[in-house]
Amino acid sequence: MPKNITIFTTNTCAYCVQVKKWLGAKGMTYEEVNLDQHPERQAEALEISGAYTVPVTVVTQQDDSKEVIVGFNLAKLAPAVAS
Amino acid sequence: MDTDKLYDVIMIGAGPAALSAAIYTTREDIDTLLFERGVPGGLAAVTDWVDNYPGFPDGLSGLDLAEGLRKQAERFGAVIELGEVLSIRDEGDHKLLETTSGEVKAKAVLLAMGSDYKKIGVPGEVEYYARGVHYCATCDGAFYRDKRLVVVGGGNSAVQEAIFLTRFATHIDLLVRSDHFRASDVLVKELAKHADKITVHMNTTTDEIVAVDNKIVKVVGTDKTTGNKVDFPTDGVFIFAGLIPNTQFLKDTCILLDEIGFVLTDEHLQTRMPGVFAAGDVRSGATMQIASAAGEGATAALKLREYLEGKPHPIAN
Repeated sequence: MPKNITIFTTNTCAYCVQVKKWLGAKGMTYEEVNLDQHPERQAEALEISGAYTVPVTVVTQQDDSKEVIVGFNLAKLAPAVAS
Repeated sequence: MDTDKLYDVIMIGAGPAALSAAIYTTREDIDTLLFERGVPGGLAAVTDWVDNYPGFPDGLSGLDLAEGLRKQAERFGAVIELGEVLSIRDEGDHKLLETTSGEVKAKAVLLAMGSDYKKIGVPGEVEYYARGVHYCATCDGAFYRDKRLVVVGGGNSAVQEAIFLTRFATHIDLLVRSDHFRASDVLVKELAKHADKITVHMNTTTDEIVAVDNKIVKVVGTDKTTGNKVDFPTDGVFIFAGLIPNTQFLKDTCILLDEIGFVLTDEHLQTRMPGVFAAGDVRSGATMQIASAAGEGATAALKLREYLEGKPHPIAN
């Protein structure tokens, strides 16, 4: 089980809804950073992902290592939250 | 998903066509499984605003429409599996689908994979994907607050999304290859209301996306009326230049595709493979409208029911 999960989102992003829904269905809690409400954190999302896009999901494992998943990418998201 | 079960219907895709079809099939207790590799609602879900879907006099967001369709289908028992179908084979009394979640069987199949925005194939497009080159304004537009943008395309999506991007950008150059818009007159009139922020360049090709130090700095185009190269300084590019169908996995089957790759069907929406139907944007001749996709989905559901009831339509040659 990861230590924590942070998702960078925007109001209009359908893929963000999908990531949140998928994590919710797995019973996982997450912190959401909505960039429409917090545009000052946009640079942080960009620095983490290297991409001008959302969703960006940051999975912090128990050993504090981080995995960054850009977009709704189950092939990467599922193993990241399972470990 | 149950890999041992023989489903009545498997729908490939979960956009407006498939979700509408699933509302019909599941209400009639036809066991229905949908496969979606992206987001339920498909391109409709990432469309900023939908003003022409019947029954919503004030319009609604594409995301809300997609969510409504999904909830309605799930209310009647539709199951949406997240994954991708890799191949389809006719096994006589059933179809065998190889998917990213394993093999699964169905008596009948609906192809409703929709389409994606086409790449325009210019230098810089692939290299700077998601780092300045984008195909989803509702996903990525927020990164361009107080920036300049170029939008490529002259259809409904390009015009609609250019208008949406004015929420963020200081200025947008809209590059239209043709001498006229393919977008509806209503949208073009709406576009004119944003002339303070959007400059339209008709007859202008998009030739190259140029970056310096890994940041997009300009788009180089050609004014077709003069033949002159034109620079459009920008921080990012959004491309909505036509659609390409998601039918790559059908290429080695008996299902016929048109020259672009859209699925050919007969008047019953049936393909060359018996019991395999197609609806929505993936179908050759589709009008690429959400309402049309929903309507075709309803039609396909009724045709699927006839097939399952043992009233198959002959396969057209």
